[in-house]
Amino acid sequence: MLKPKQMTRAVIVGHKNILEETVDALHKANLFQIEDYIEDDSELKIGKPFGNISEISKKLIKIRSIGSLLGVEDVAAQRQDSSKILTDLDDRLNQLDAEVNAVSEKKTELEAELKETESLKKELIPFTNIDLDLDLYHGYEKLAVFSGYVQENVEPAISGITSSYKLYFDPKNSVIVLFVPKEKSEEVSDALAKALFKELRVPDVSGVPSSIIADLEKKEANIVNKIESTDAEIEELNVKYADFILASNELLSIETEKSEAPLRIATTESTFVIDGWIPTEHYDDLQITVNTATNGRAFVSSQEMTSEDEKKVPIEYDNPKVSSPFEEIMDLYARPRYKEIDPTTLIFISFPLFYGMILGDIGYALILLALAFGIKKFVTSDAIKPLMNILIYCQISTLIFGILYGEFLGFPLASIHTDHGVEAGLIAGFETIDLFASPIGGEMFTFPVHRTHLVMTLIVLTALIGVIHINIGYILGFINENKKHGFSAALFEKGSWIVVELGILLIALGYVGMLPIAAGVLVFLIGFVMLVKGEGIKGPIELPALLSNSLSYTRIIAVGLSSIYIASTVNLIAFEMIWEPGTAIGGMTIFAIVVFLFGHALNTVLSIIAPGLHALRLQYVEFFGKFYEGGGRKYDPFGYIRKYTEEK
Amino acid sequence: MAEPVTSTITMMDPAGLQAIGAGLAVGLTGLASGIAEKEIGTAAIGAMAENEGLFGKGLILTVIPETIVIFGLVVALLIS
Repeated sequence: MLKPKQMTRAVIVGHKNILEETVDALHKANLFQIEDYIEDDSELKIGKPFGNISEISKKLIKIRSIGSLLGVEDVAAQRQDSSKILTDLDDRLNQLDAEVNAVSEKKTELEAELKETESLKKELIPFTNIDLDLDLYHGYEKLAVFSGYVQENVEPAISGITSSYKLYFDPKNSVIVLFVPKEKSEEVSDALAKALFKELRVPDVSGVPSSIIADLEKKEANIVNKIESTDAEIEELNVKYADFILASNELLSIETEKSEAPLRIATTESTFVIDGWIPTEHYDDLQITVNTATNGRAFVSSQEMTSEDEKKVPIEYDNPKVSSPFEEIMDLYARPRYKEIDPTTLIFISFPLFYGMILGDIGYALILLALAFGIKKFVTSDAIKPLMNILIYCQISTLIFGILYGEFLGFPLASIHTDHGVEAGLIAGFETIDLFASPIGGEMFTFPVHRTHLVMTLIVLTALIGVIHINIGYILGFINENKKHGFSAALFEKGSWIVVELGILLIALGYVGMLPIAAGVLVFLIGFVMLVKGEGIKGPIELPALLSNSLSYTRIIAVGLSSIYIASTVNLIAFEMIWEPGTAIGGMTIFAIVVFLFGHALNTVLSIIAPGLHALRLQYVEFFGKFYEGGGRKYDPFGYIRKYTEEK
Repeated sequence: MAEPVTSTITMMDPAGLQAIGAGLAVGLTGLASGIAEKEIGTAAIGAMAENEGLFGKGLILTVIPETIVIFGLVVALLIS
């Protein structure tokens, strides 16, 4: 539970003509992680892939490109018989390829046509307000035609040069079309240059621009329609072939993986050596699997684990099913190393605990619980499930603390006794029960715990929780260090911190007069010297972290209070500022309900993010910092979990 | 004859000063966290663009300066 799974290094040796059977059996067993062989100067060489690998990968690429073109998604589908798919794979693939090609070519053509029309339209737009047939723009012997943008009206300048001209001017777009005799064209062009003339290309079509554009728009709508119908065809193909594509993709992926396996294996002229890792509990299964597949002709043996091996053992978690969702949280940080404590089970307790202490509200717990169960039911993704399980654990803890705090969506359930009198709670007649006077700040400890009225006590309490949590971390660190570098290293590196803390505690006791203060100082100094010996100069520098780390746990109350304040502000705005409960129902009631729903929806989202992140941070920074190294390699066995196909 | 000046005229309301102090504690530490998180966040996103596996580490690093504003909040709670 607190350790990763025991692993065994196994070596499989055999004659090359049974390699294929062996690889096949290993792939089916999905247990053995093959260690890639790296060629060195020895006689052993990397093996050659089986069969016609290039043919298979060609098909795989084809099926994948078709899949992405059709937008086939990973969905739950009925399992199909793999041998049946294999027999008519080629025919169906070719047929599918032809169909898809036809449709996609059609679509590409249509899209190109659409683009062409659009660019022609763009060219025509400047000429729309000039009512001239485009044929009239060219084909003259004695006339020069200018068409383009200008910055100002050029009519006066042109009339100064010649009286025989024809000018069309569109002031809206500042476009001119000007006809002048050819002999004047140079003078005119100089005059136009002064007006910052920018020539426009005349599109190579005939007709009046405005009517051409109207035609083009009709054509465009037509093309868009056609594209939509091709999209529908693609969708049809998707529906028709999705199962086949998913199944054959899986099958071909498995084939490629198997045929490429020899590239990871050491071989000689006639033998092969497969080196790798397997969880110790499955070692016997491996032997049986390989022996049955090869009629006992391959030899499986386990190897002694060297200290060099320990650095590269693949790590597989070994946790009970209840706490296994928290492996996700561990992976987010780093996998443990082989000889290290796997803190997943500890996080399974402390993460929901802190989350619940921060949020602690019955209303939000119920909303988020419903949300988590809903998502778990309707989303089948494998990545979402553990996250939802974590959320459910957290909400159960939130519900418990919600009852303890007596809070529902920011409303107190029980009445609150303050200096200014009694404030009624949500449940009529539910009186706060005084338990005992808290030693801090003259506050009264009550049930339910009104967090807003017990701030001082809770700040100290959460800091104390922090001290306990951190010390658990130091103890784990001690165990880890003891395993890795022996007892004395553990004592000086991790034990010293506990001695230092003890010293501080004794000094505090001395301060209130229960002990001679010198005793505390002495213990503190002993711890300090041990720390310097264990960690060098780094130790004393990190001493203040002891304080800041434990104070960091006060975020449990601080973040919780901020969530309460947001919720009660929403309630205040909704029920006291815009609608007084007990008055007649009117427009303001509806507005109040909208404010209430929107505000609490927002706070619900914040209720996942803020407590989650802070509870996580307390684990990662404050807790893990004391003992955890991590950096283990993920156990990734050679094999495949079939989702769409089955072998009969 | 001039009236004797009473000392209460020049006094400020202690509750108001407390509120200002608490506001400063939360506001300034909030700014400080924001500045620190800005730098870390941009770097973390840059790192994530290269390697998506760094999401967890980036997230943790980004939340670390949040302690500053939490301390500010605690101080504000202590004052008020």
